Amino acid sequence: MPRRKPQARLVGPTLPFLGLLLLALLAAVSSEAAETVTVDVGAIYASNEGTSIDPALGTIREKLRSMFNYTSYKMLDRKRRSLSVGETGEFELPGRRTMRATLLPAQGDKIRLSIQISEGARKLLTTTLGLRRGGMVLVGGPSHQAGVLILIISAE
Amino acid sequence: MDCRAARMNIEAKADGLLPREAEGELAGHLAGCPACAAEDAAISATGPALRALTGIRAVGKGPALDAMWTRVRAGIEEGRAARRRPSWIARWVWIPAAAALAVLAFLFYPAGTDRSPFHPSTFDVAVEDIESDVATVALVDKGEDLPRVIWIIEDAKT
Repeated sequence: MPRRKPQARLVGPTLPFLGLLLLALLAAVSSEAAETVTVDVGAIYASNEGTSIDPALGTIREKLRSMFNYTSYKMLDRKRRSLSVGETGEFELPGRRTMRATLLPAQGDKIRLSIQISEGARKLLTTTLGLRRGGMVLVGGPSHQAGVLILIISAE
Repeated sequence: MDCRAARMNIEAKADGLLPREAEGELAGHLAGCPACAAEDAAISATGPALRALTGIRAVGKGPALDAMWTRVRAGIEEGRAARRRPSWIARWVWIPAAAALAVLAFLFYPAGTDRSPFHPSTFDVAVEDIESDVATVALVDKGEDLPRVIWIIEDAKT
């Protein structure tokens, strides 16, 4: 009578267990992802120095050109933070500025963010935004070098 | 040479250990001593008889030895084949390993930075409140297909 190899005896019951473990892990990850919001902040330097537009801006390039009178747009920095309700994420911005974003409670697929942009002790902006997942808003105006900073804030 | 020495030399001869120079002396003794000659004849006949007996027994057990050798050879071949063939675990272990790697990459991929271009799905944004301690703030809305803009005017510079 043929005997099963010890390896096969060990792996036989282990493989389904590993599969279940992976499924449980994926379920936990997707559940956590549903409860958190990823806030994406890109810092753009807009100026009239040159005519280049950073390809990293994607589909927003044409919209920037149609909305503002600057000839050059360069992405200086981009950061993402995953936030759960009540959690605050801090984003360092060019020019010793900081942005703090707090995820507020919201209904359905709405996202509510409390945003505060500071320059040292000066509060440049305090606002509360209501977005849909994948939504975007621009915050511009703070001077930077020979132009201005435009922040692209999106959440999903 | 006396009979005692002759008996020892007879055994040495049967074993092939008798020096050539002693053979003549032994032969002389055997010629004159019938008892030692009989002992020599008996011992000399023992070797061929034992070889013949061993041969007969080997011939009798030949088929059994052949069968045993066949089994041994088959076992050796099976062992070699098992070593050459990848085991069940080696063939399939990459599936859970790859899945675990994918989950780990998903969990621990650095989320702090992203270089993929912006592709917003909507510009539908509600501004619930807006204020600034040090600047004038304007809310600019140029249409549904364009993002809403909050513009900070510092000291009338921008």
